[in-house]
Amino acid sequence: MKQRARFSRTVVVGGAALALVLSLSGCGGGSDAADGDTIHVLVYGDAANKVEKELVATFNKTSEVKAVLDTIPGADYQAKLQTIINSKQAPDVFFNWGGGSIKPFVDAGLLLPLDPFIAEDPGLKEKFLPSVFNSAVVDGTSYGIPMRGTQPVLLFNNGKVLEKAGVEPPQTWDDLLAAVEALKADGVTPIALGGGDRWPTLMWFEYLYDRIAGPELFQKALDGDKDAWASPDSRKALGKIRELVDAGAFGTNYDSVKFTDQGSPTLLATGRAGFELMGSWAYSTQQDAHPEFARSDLGYSAFPSVEGGKGDRANLVGNTNNFYSVLKKTKHPQAVAEFLKLMYSDQFVKAQLSIGNLPTTTNTEGLLDTAASPEFAKFQYDMVKEAPAFQLSWDQAYPRSAATAMYQSLQQFFNGSMDEDAFIQAMQALPTS
Amino acid sequence: MNRTPAIPKRSKGPEGSEGFEDRATVRWGGPGAVAVGRPGFLWAAPAALFFGLFAIVPLIMVAVLSFASWDGLSDPEFAGLANWKKLLDDPVMIKSLWLSVLLTVLGVAVQTPLSILLGVWAAGHQRNRAVLSAIYFVPMLLSIAAVSVLWRALLDPNLGVPAQATWLFGDGNLFGMQASAIGVLVFVSTWQFTPLHTLIYQGAARAVPPVLYQAAQIDGAGKVRQFFHITLPQLRNAIITSMILMVVGGLTTFDTVLILTQGGPGSDTTISAFYMYQKAFKSFDYGSASAIALLLVLVSTLISLIVVRLSGYDKMRSTMEGL
Repeated sequence: MKQRARFSRTVVVGGAALALVLSLSGCGGGSDAADGDTIHVLVYGDAANKVEKELVATFNKTSEVKAVLDTIPGADYQAKLQTIINSKQAPDVFFNWGGGSIKPFVDAGLLLPLDPFIAEDPGLKEKFLPSVFNSAVVDGTSYGIPMRGTQPVLLFNNGKVLEKAGVEPPQTWDDLLAAVEALKADGVTPIALGGGDRWPTLMWFEYLYDRIAGPELFQKALDGDKDAWASPDSRKALGKIRELVDAGAFGTNYDSVKFTDQGSPTLLATGRAGFELMGSWAYSTQQDAHPEFARSDLGYSAFPSVEGGKGDRANLVGNTNNFYSVLKKTKHPQAVAEFLKLMYSDQFVKAQLSIGNLPTTTNTEGLLDTAASPEFAKFQYDMVKEAPAFQLSWDQAYPRSAATAMYQSLQQFFNGSMDEDAFIQAMQALPTS
Repeated sequence: MNRTPAIPKRSKGPEGSEGFEDRATVRWGGPGAVAVGRPGFLWAAPAALFFGLFAIVPLIMVAVLSFASWDGLSDPEFAGLANWKKLLDDPVMIKSLWLSVLLTVLGVAVQTPLSILLGVWAAGHQRNRAVLSAIYFVPMLLSIAAVSVLWRALLDPNLGVPAQATWLFGDGNLFGMQASAIGVLVFVSTWQFTPLHTLIYQGAARAVPPVLYQAAQIDGAGKVRQFFHITLPQLRNAIITSMILMVVGGLTTFDTVLILTQGGPGSDTTISAFYMYQKAFKSFDYGSASAIALLLVLVSTLISLIVVRLSGYDKMRSTMEGL
């Protein structure tokens, strides 16, 4: 009896609280008290915020509607964005990676199509490199304006180590295998890999699939054609990965090494490894941690070609760019359009270049001399400009719900605990939309 | 309902009971000590409200969500048993439950003997004991995240300890194999949490009446014999308390896995709490994540019930009995 009395009271109190919570959440997302004439710009919180602050200040000098910059620390960005985007706290404009990263928001009807903005100011489209601009086009409609910079993946090397082993940056797959043998004989790990982070491992898959099968195979798979993963080209790419791992190219303890805690960059910088396949940000990472090495011995080249492969050697993979997308419920679309125009201004390009980013606007080329490292900026810019295809990182192209399973299978195939068939099956099981 | 008669009956106690003046009864909180009456439900209302709001309501919501599919964007859709069916067919889920239990059992097995020995030692009167135990308790002051980051860096195969001690660590691929990755997780949580349990045992060991040891000494029992026949039995309730803490802590381990292994290699250290996080905040599949959460609640409840029942903790027997 006593037990039951206590229980029924708890239920009453709990029920009242529940009703309270439900009624509160019921009015969320609805009418919003007018919070002045401001637009909120939400960005990934890191060192590049310096430039974004500058731009917001510039915008506020002339605009009636004031912009407010909100930042979320990097690691939490995606999760926090997804939590607030359909709530009262949703921003007007937000940072993203284009492609799959905004598709769920488009599907949920939250994003504003930007085509009307572009019709009014063609510069919003024409002032950006087309291969980059197009990766924020979803179902034929533009949903993002490029911001920050492009991040192609390059094969970095330690010039001193290569020289000592008599190795040149590889042009072909066979060159790469020969380089691996030579470096091993010289007693260094041929290729540094931060397998503990998993996404560095993904880069090897992206490039080998591109070189062997061309960019079409991945696009087909992404569009829902599961057979693409079981195709002969797919098996051939997996075979090459196996070949490289088995040749000892990455040593044996790559799964315990991370890029994010300076593990693999230090291997390269201290001459304990010859190569590292990494996004262009590796340059500024080295500049920061090992300035001497970045100045004198850090080399870079495009990913080698594979004999008989269908992919062009000039194809790139990586993060094509970051984008600003706009929420449909913004109350100041005109102000937002004005704000977005800053993304191709000279001021924006110069500011980005000065912190090592490489914007992909058509006026970038003329301003490359102002970059932190003009030579590296120029190399990258030419690559991006001439690339026939620029494949967005798989983990960004696929819907977020695929990421965990994708990382697991990548790691397991790479370290040999999963075979080809199991890997193909795992990739086929990923959700594509 | 029948509480109303219960209160006056209790408060009548002192007048009615004989020998109430007995000092011992008062000291041990016998019936005489509660002459002011027992607290009613209203006294607990503020706490109950908060508990309801922040524990019961979310639990109910999680239970509801586990029957829905929700990506955090659109409105949740009723999905029936789909999430549960998916979970039971999911090899990673089954593995994660097994891993959670394994990590918990390993944690208890490693930490309990260690902290009993250290706790009993720290309860003594040796020279330098205070200084040594003060140093020893330092890990307890650090946050789990900081400790994990620290060990992750120390265990880097090329730049950390393994590179200096290749005879012990081989190529240092600690995070690349399941057995060693689990080993690292157990080691790091032992390093961090043994001090806490040591503290519990230190307190309990100091509460053991010295007369027992004096009597044993007179009977000629040695140190080892005293430990097994006096100290250990007297620590019984402390052991249960500490073990329940370990079990609860073990089943909800999350931070160490997130920072040290990220559930890898593959899914080899993906314990349930981490899998739930992955489902919710990496895959944005809140339905499945809620089902995992609920499953974890059920398993934890079951395990702590078993611990309580097996240990006889529910009977609240005192070790002071017979004194």
